[in-house]
Amino acid sequence: MTIAVLFLILFGCIFLGMPIAVALGLSSVGTILMFSDDSLASIALKLFEALSHHYTLLAIPFFILSSAFLSTGGVAKRLINFAVDSIGHVKGGLAMASVMACMLFAAVSGSSPATVAAIGTIVIAGMVRAGYPESFAAGVIANAGTLGILIPPSIVMLVYAAATEVSAARMFMAGMIPGLMMGGILMIAIYVVARIKNFPAQPFPGFRALFRSGVIAMGGLMLIVIVLGSIYGGVASPTEAAAVAAVYAFLVAVFGYRDMGPLKDKPWRYEGEALASCVARNLAQIGIALPKSFFDAEVKRVVLDAAKVSLMLLFIIANAMLFAHVLTTERIPHIIAETIIGWGLPAWGFLIVVNILLLAAGNFMEPSAILLIMAPILFPIATQLGIDPIHLGIIMVVNMEIGMLTPPVGLNLFVTAGITGRSMVWVIKAALPWLALLLGFLILITYVPQISLFLPEYIDQLNGY
Amino acid sequence: MVVRFIHKLEENIVALLLVTMTLLVFAEVIMRFVFSTGVTWIQEATLYTAAWFVLFGASYGVRIGAHIGVDVVVKLLPEPLRRLAGLLAIALCFVYCALFLLGSWDYLQLMHMIGIEMEDIAIPKWMAMMIMPVGFVLLVIRFAELGWAILTGKKDGFHLADEGKDSMHLAEELQNAADSAKAEKDLSDRNNQDGSDANKSENSGADK
Repeated sequence: MTIAVLFLILFGCIFLGMPIAVALGLSSVGTILMFSDDSLASIALKLFEALSHHYTLLAIPFFILSSAFLSTGGVAKRLINFAVDSIGHVKGGLAMASVMACMLFAAVSGSSPATVAAIGTIVIAGMVRAGYPESFAAGVIANAGTLGILIPPSIVMLVYAAATEVSAARMFMAGMIPGLMMGGILMIAIYVVARIKNFPAQPFPGFRALFRSGVIAMGGLMLIVIVLGSIYGGVASPTEAAAVAAVYAFLVAVFGYRDMGPLKDKPWRYEGEALASCVARNLAQIGIALPKSFFDAEVKRVVLDAAKVSLMLLFIIANAMLFAHVLTTERIPHIIAETIIGWGLPAWGFLIVVNILLLAAGNFMEPSAILLIMAPILFPIATQLGIDPIHLGIIMVVNMEIGMLTPPVGLNLFVTAGITGRSMVWVIKAALPWLALLLGFLILITYVPQISLFLPEYIDQLNGY
Repeated sequence: MVVRFIHKLEENIVALLLVTMTLLVFAEVIMRFVFSTGVTWIQEATLYTAAWFVLFGASYGVRIGAHIGVDVVVKLLPEPLRRLAGLLAIALCFVYCALFLLGSWDYLQLMHMIGIEMEDIAIPKWMAMMIMPVGFVLLVIRFAELGWAILTGKKDGFHLADEGKDSMHLAEELQNAADSAKAEKDLSDRNNQDGSDANKSENSGADK
């Protein structure tokens, strides 16, 4: 009865087009008022405490802020240059470099559609000019873009950690090998196709050029090194690493790359400028620009963009915690778990059900919303069946990736259609062969837990647990 | 004019709260790693700033359409029904706000009566939690505004956020940059060609 009411109100509200946060909150409060004797005051306190007692949650706004500073066209161009210089000279190298650029940008930005938009706009046109079929280029990018939520640091993983209270640091460790593996699988597939269809290779630019573009790209990539290094090394919590990353991203965007802010279009060194005067000028300029940048219109726009996404996510999470509270007090996941175990469903069968459920949900909802609704339900069931929570998290994230490539809410399809100017049907057809790879990868991830669990367990061993 | 001022103020407060909490955690990290000391009040201050940021920002999010939801079903409805669904949704949002307003008011009164202070900062707890009722009142105002827009036919439902559309501005920015770079190159190519003819090069210089 309670289960029915809770889910009826929830899905009724969601399909009425209400914000997911309000739908979650209203259905939870409604159920509590009807079936238990908690006071309204204690419910209000729960919502407030969801926001004011979870230090780990703060990693979400900080990562969103850092990625807002670095998810720019300028950073995308620098990463693409570096990727093309490093593997462009292999057969089919431009496509492989695009995948690599997607992986790098995905790690920096943490968002899949932004990766497709930023990298795709440049490389799809570039690949077509170099003689690749457009559908090949578009399909590769739409798929490689989904890596944005799998390669750490990833916001979707933080949302999963928030929903299930598993360690965000361990999620970040677990995502590393699957992310690299999926990127590798895409590249190998591209190489095979390129061999068969005889796609062109770029000329090797020489080690000097590679070194140069590498150093330039390093400004943005250091962010990943700082974040993952400090988290893997156990030096800082994800929240602290994220705050440092946000400040670092601001410094790189405004003072390093100078794509925005008061120093925009002022080069580090003018042609023919003496070194001493160059250093003096830059020091003076940075000194003046630092206070100025706090009032800069472009910087403020970036902060507001980040604020918009983070408050939306945190508001959903706060309400989802109420929802999770109702689930636990009403023992709903336990009832479902007992039913499932009663059927004699083995762990592998349960995982198939999970995959189908998530793939279906991914067709009409956004990743973070699905995770917040499904994770509190699936998590206790999985624990009873002996499935590692971290492994379940990675499975869910890979499912969300696939959801970005299936209509009607496939964000990556939408963005790819937008940048190529083609129809949705054309994009779906272009992405389909690569989607098959992703599905195969999902099966691999689901039934070989060691892929996800190897790195977190190895790091635990190093730390002597 | 007044509305624009309020909107600017709202944006500035939201941005300021986000920047404050980032810098607070950053400061704590610097204190710990560089000076090997901790500051006890920073963590609590950060967490409450975060709560203020979200509860104050929720209404701002309604104004700018930051919240996500599922509008696939509503979009299938014919016009008058769609607006009706929108109004029903707004009504339910009011119920949501009303429940939390009541709850937070009860709780704050209790806190006020007992007079507890926060753990590490010497501020009464009810003051720090004032943002609960304030945030939900602001939310009611924004929902009312939206409801009015639906009633008068200016909008037909929630303007829900779309991450895909938001990402497209990146693509546009790059496209524009590429176009203008190409235009510049074309221009300079033409100028170079014209350069062979002294008279014309002056003209093109003037055009530029």
